[in-house]
Amino acid sequence: MDFAINELIYFVLLLPVIFSVISATNLLPKDLLHWLNRITATCVAAAIGLLVVTFNPEQPYGDAYLYLDALSVWMLLIVGTLYFAFAWTSKAYLDRDTNQRYGYLRRFQRLEGRFYALSHMFVWIMFVVVTVNNLGLMWVAIEATTLVSALLVAFKFTRTSLEATWKYVMVCTVGICLALLGTILVYYIQLTSVGTESPLNWLYLSQHVENIDPAMAKFAFCFLFVGYGTKIGLAPMHAWLPDAHSEAPALTSGLLSGSLCICAIYVLIRNIIILMPAIGVDFISGLCLFFGLFTVAAAVPFVLVQRDVKRMLAYSSMENFGLMVAGLGLFVPVAAQAMLLHMFNHALVKYSLFYTAGTIMEEFGTKNMMRIHGMMLQVPKTALFWILGIVGILGMPPFGVFFSKFYTIYGFFTADHPYLGILMLGLLAGMLIGILYHVMRMLGGHECRKCSGELFGIVDSVVLLALLVFSGVLSAGVNEIPVISKLLTTASQIVLGGIS
Amino acid sequence: MEYLVVFLVLVVFLQTRVTDLKRAVICLASQSLIIAVACFALGFSTSTGLHAIMPGLLTLVVKVIFIPGAILRLVGKLKNEREILSESNVNYSTMAAALFLVMGYAIVERLLPGFAGRDIVAASILMIMTGLSLMVLRKRAIIQMAGLITLENGIYLLGLLMTDGLPLVVELGVFLDVLIAVVVLVILTSRMRLSFMTTDTSVMKKLKG
Repeated sequence: MDFAINELIYFVLLLPVIFSVISATNLLPKDLLHWLNRITATCVAAAIGLLVVTFNPEQPYGDAYLYLDALSVWMLLIVGTLYFAFAWTSKAYLDRDTNQRYGYLRRFQRLEGRFYALSHMFVWIMFVVVTVNNLGLMWVAIEATTLVSALLVAFKFTRTSLEATWKYVMVCTVGICLALLGTILVYYIQLTSVGTESPLNWLYLSQHVENIDPAMAKFAFCFLFVGYGTKIGLAPMHAWLPDAHSEAPALTSGLLSGSLCICAIYVLIRNIIILMPAIGVDFISGLCLFFGLFTVAAAVPFVLVQRDVKRMLAYSSMENFGLMVAGLGLFVPVAAQAMLLHMFNHALVKYSLFYTAGTIMEEFGTKNMMRIHGMMLQVPKTALFWILGIVGILGMPPFGVFFSKFYTIYGFFTADHPYLGILMLGLLAGMLIGILYHVMRMLGGHECRKCSGELFGIVDSVVLLALLVFSGVLSAGVNEIPVISKLLTTASQIVLGGIS
Repeated sequence: MEYLVVFLVLVVFLQTRVTDLKRAVICLASQSLIIAVACFALGFSTSTGLHAIMPGLLTLVVKVIFIPGAILRLVGKLKNEREILSESNVNYSTMAAALFLVMGYAIVERLLPGFAGRDIVAASILMIMTGLSLMVLRKRAIIQMAGLITLENGIYLLGLLMTDGLPLVVELGVFLDVLIAVVVLVILTSRMRLSFMTTDTSVMKKLKG
């Protein structure tokens, strides 16, 4: 079978929309819906896999609206993998959430269609974010992800989920409006110094960056950084992140944490590439390092005193986003590569963690970690996945996150920021202590709460295991697998712009 | 153009004063109407064809008719709410708006001395900041929504002045997003009314830490 790049990408961009329209009509019987969901995601994931294999990083693909280079393909790989995992775990989650005693959704009828329609639309918009060639359209798509995912966060319509969603929409929309202002300023810069040809086209702009006015570029960058930083969840603007991640259905939390926030990082990177030659590396690097470290530092105390299991994972996500942004701010090849790898690893491991956390919440009927004990005795399989995921996300050796965190920290030392590197190591150690303290309490001890028994099925265990193994194998062998190593090297060169 | 700016500033100040929801929505609609007129004026003076009428037409349909209409329908349904008096700080928002107006002119003088559209830039900064302050200082969901639209209008006006409008595709996308945002917020607000018996967001303070 031989497909051209454009056939594959149109296939990827078409299928989720068709499925989400079908499921929004709510006409199909439940089983058919579940299977169609799996088939759609598997086909899309296969197409993305084929795209990764056949794509030549040296020859970016571009047409009137789409642009695909190594960085976009890498992002497609991340989102596509999560999409696949989502489709194969969704049936188990939905069945549970409509049946067991903790299941909020049992009060409603036939919610599967709506849930699938929104989720597939959400993933589709993220595909659009990483494939469009226009900075303005990227902004439009990022704002659209906020709105679609808001309906998913509020899916249960409980009081707390309404509160979380209200905060999410308000904070993110304000942030994204500031990013619109930044985008308008970039367009103004283009009109005054580059010309009216191909407005806001990323490729055209990146080839004509020489005569940008530095003062105006700095002004625009500040708005873009604050705007997309809100969406990433950087520290002073992070108010929405723990609420939205903890109140959403577990699958949505996984998608939010794993792919949405890194899509915002992706758009920020695209803007940085345009503005960097005018502003200079120092300013951008300083901002990224400061806010990255500040985000990690802000997350640590909240993890230590946390009682809500999904909130703890949300703060752990904040830590990882801080690390990614700091890695971006180092501007050395090893750190850029590590940051891209970390996006991938964090997405896979965090998705499996959120899924496991959702299962734990249903098994024990609570999300208060102080009331969950004796998981090893009562629910051994869940306990196994919980400890595997936690060990994975904290960056211990056999898992993928170890490699990416290690290379990022190594990047601090090669980029002449040894003290910041030591500070980051200290903060990561604090995170490790905080999370392990809670997790060990949950795993060990006597059972003191009635539990509904093991809820992990076969399909979801296999998918979760595959996610963990895939992340580990890919990061350990990143230099041995030629396709991936070439893709990642080219992508990190794109991130660094001209500097390498 | 000068008259438009005067009316705009007047409407924005009025918006910080009103506490009645229906009047707040009418203020919002008239504000968007002024923006639409500005769109037509700027569009016909700088470009021709589709790009001249499209922004004004979209503003008219989306922001003057659809959005206030949707919010007004929601307001009509808001009956026998719980009485919560958290709306005592109207004077603070007016004071803040006055400060923002001065600040807007100061910023324009500093950054773009001698710029022709000085008043419009200052007015749009006023709108952006007032929108933000409405969202932060006021507690009622509908007023916060009005603040959000005000903020968006301000940014849109600034963009219109600086760049004669974004590329057409992006412009359409922006309007689509605003439209969906309001639909989502209206859904959330009506759900809020069902769960909390009020649309005052100060009752939502469970999630902390």
